[in-house]
Amino acid sequence: MRDAYLVGAGQSDFGSFPEESYRSLFRAAYEAAVESVPAGIDPEAIDEAVVGTLGVGGRQIGLPGPAVTEHVGLSGVPCTRVENACAASGYAVRQAVQAVRSGMADVVLAGGFEVMTDASGDRTRWWLGVSGETEYERLSGTTFAGVYAQMASAHMDAYGTTDEHLSQVAVKNHANGAKNPHAHLGFECTLDDAMGAATVADPLTLYHCCPTTDGAACTLVASEDVVDGYTDDPVRIAGVGAASDAVGLFQRDTYTAVPASREAARRAYEAAGIDPGDPAEHLDFAEVHDCFSIAEILAYEDLGFCDRGEGGDLVASGATELGGDLPVNTSGGLKSKGHPIGATGAGQITEAFQQLTGRAGDRQVEDPVRGLTHNVGGSGGAAVVHILEREREVGS
Amino acid sequence: MDPTTDGDALGAILAAGAYAPPYRITADEVADAWGRFDAGGIDRTAVPGADEDALTMGIAAGRRALSAAEVSGSDLEFLAFATTTPPQEEGDLTARLGAALAVPDGATRQSFSASTRAGTRALSAALSADPDPGLVVAADCPRGEPADERDHAAGAGAAAFVVGSEGPAAFVDAAEHADPTPGTRFRRRGSDRVEGLGVTSYDRAAFARTVGAAAEGVGFGADSTAEADAAAVQSPDGAMPYRAADALGVDTGTVAAAETVSDLGDTGAASTPLGLATALGAGHGRILVVGYGSGGAADALLVEAERDPPTALSLEGDRAVSYAEYLRLRGEITPGNPDGGGASVSVPAWKRSLPGRYRPRAGECPECGGLTFPPEGACGECGALVEFETVELGPDGRVEAVTRIGQGGAPPEFAEAQARGGAYGVAIVAVEGPAGGSASVPLQVADGHDAPEVGDVVRAVVRRIYTQEGVTRYGVKARPVGPD
Repeated sequence: MRDAYLVGAGQSDFGSFPEESYRSLFRAAYEAAVESVPAGIDPEAIDEAVVGTLGVGGRQIGLPGPAVTEHVGLSGVPCTRVENACAASGYAVRQAVQAVRSGMADVVLAGGFEVMTDASGDRTRWWLGVSGETEYERLSGTTFAGVYAQMASAHMDAYGTTDEHLSQVAVKNHANGAKNPHAHLGFECTLDDAMGAATVADPLTLYHCCPTTDGAACTLVASEDVVDGYTDDPVRIAGVGAASDAVGLFQRDTYTAVPASREAARRAYEAAGIDPGDPAEHLDFAEVHDCFSIAEILAYEDLGFCDRGEGGDLVASGATELGGDLPVNTSGGLKSKGHPIGATGAGQITEAFQQLTGRAGDRQVEDPVRGLTHNVGGSGGAAVVHILEREREVGS
Repeated sequence: MDPTTDGDALGAILAAGAYAPPYRITADEVADAWGRFDAGGIDRTAVPGADEDALTMGIAAGRRALSAAEVSGSDLEFLAFATTTPPQEEGDLTARLGAALAVPDGATRQSFSASTRAGTRALSAALSADPDPGLVVAADCPRGEPADERDHAAGAGAAAFVVGSEGPAAFVDAAEHADPTPGTRFRRRGSDRVEGLGVTSYDRAAFARTVGAAAEGVGFGADSTAEADAAAVQSPDGAMPYRAADALGVDTGTVAAAETVSDLGDTGAASTPLGLATALGAGHGRILVVGYGSGGAADALLVEAERDPPTALSLEGDRAVSYAEYLRLRGEITPGNPDGGGASVSVPAWKRSLPGRYRPRAGECPECGGLTFPPEGACGECGALVEFETVELGPDGRVEAVTRIGQGGAPPEFAEAQARGGAYGVAIVAVEGPAGGSASVPLQVADGHDAPEVGDVVRAVVRRIYTQEGVTRYGVKARPVGPD
């Protein structure tokens, strides 16, 4: 089975852009990805495209993939749309890896987009709920934030996790996002800001919730047979793991974990040869799915960065800050960088590419070799984890 | 068989149940808002919650009556529902009421409306049907224009009676009387507000004359010497029934013995039934029951209780609301659901999920015994794709996870209900199985701000879930019953 490599990745700015369209945002990401390929790439070399989007707003429910790939001139390239809620483009990258490994393609474009800020608040709230279980969970009157807030309530009850822990996630990620020129909410916040903000869904405050965001991100995945034509410093996709679970939180075995994340991580670690007992020892940074601050704490535990119930203590220790033992969400995460649903997974891969190729600017981790991305759909109905690693260390 | 006055029992009450919403507004609150309070004899009125209506209150009272009687809904042969405020003007509510109470599909169902004597008409109809047993439910939540005296009086509540041929309390006599009195209280076609011309002496005379004549039919009336321990009399406000005491041939203390209007307000078609339930609950033996509908006609029934029938009457209300909150709860100043769509569960899909919407049902796995909610698909415990045996859950469960959706944060299909009722809780509840175990069910928390905590015990109640394309979906919510 051939290895797959990340040879390029780029994103549009994330934010609220009434003057942009989903196509123009995708174009910005596509051009950034193409330009990021060290030795350049001829679009004619792209054999396949996989595009993730939830379709918020309903503007192009059918065939959104070709709608953007044809727009950027990838005429005739087979394109498949992937929908796995917030994990759409994480899964798009996984599909690209599959296509490369299978031998069906040598170069695959995998990306995603979403436009979320051009509708009324009521209409947006409707769309934000469409990835919950509709017939029972949604009809209990809950929201996306509400479901994660329920997880927070259970985690607090079981492990003593506190409002302060939740807020520390927000403070850390805003500090990182303030260093990211592409971030939607690129400003710092204080612990008091986060703890004192208005309640959205108890115990989650406004600062514990990611924004709704417009944006796009694209990656370019190439086979080992052609990678040398694009870069001398390749980033190998060392492991991919994915898993599904029940769509409704009430249907799962636990509310204090995301079982799909655990299983996806186990598979990715196994594929990458990482000791699942201490994965943090093998990782230099991680981009995790922090749609709500409790989600980052759950991710620490599900990904094995700490023991069950100790996620709050881990963020409090500072270990996941930039400069800590395992920086998490150096991009600012969904919280500060933003969460354009279909673009988020590819956006995480883009951050990993920038870190591993030394292009992360003020938020650069020192000489990283291996990083992890973790992308979750809905409240845990789908999850995908990628392990990316440099085959040559920075400076070598 | 029409009720007669031959001295034999016409039928009997096996048990009674009653329900009133927990919200109360005081006369003083209304007076502070308007500079006056125009409904004499009323201290407080009950206010329906944002997700309550005549059907949900009727279900609550019906369940209590059945529980008190230790009768299963599946045993009922007859169901009558009385209200002047049906949630929809056309559409048979007894089907949904019956489904929520597990009444057999083939049971006789009757609806009574358009008059506040609908409650006593429903009781009379049960006597004619002579079921063994049957259930009579009266529920109402009238309203008027906020400035109108009828809105100052407007309350909410429901009463239900399990009836049969024999029981601890017997109907021994029945009569009715009609007297055309146009211009007394009425509601125009297409309106949800009662009004009246306010010709005070005419209104009072019409009431007293009509109820008095009906009472004469059961041996009471102005010139009688008959005695009763309590008189459950139609109470459009807290003064009218006392003004009619002479015409009924009872003293005001007898009227007071069965009154609920001072604490619940005008409960319309449920007014007299609530009085009867209250009198039975207080242990009164001989009860004059008088229902009145403006326009006008009256029913009189005489009940004699040899022993106290079991009752489940929980009419307390501890949620005081301001006048602004009252206007919100009533939907007077709320904007309605916004445009922008909402979760779509088609009506046929909803129908397929019944009756589990009225009481949660789980699938019991024949392989591992685990419970899965909803009872479809693979077993949530062992993953086997099996044919479940459906079992009924609850009504009690324990909160496993909970949040409270802040005001303004509700999905659009819940926006109007939140505007009315405020922030609300949403919980995942481990609802008890019939033979141990539990299944986790996502439930909205009823009654506003009372968001429970993890570990608290809650009980399943039926409320309005949401309305889409004009069709209201009713289903289970959780009502806190406090920690262990």
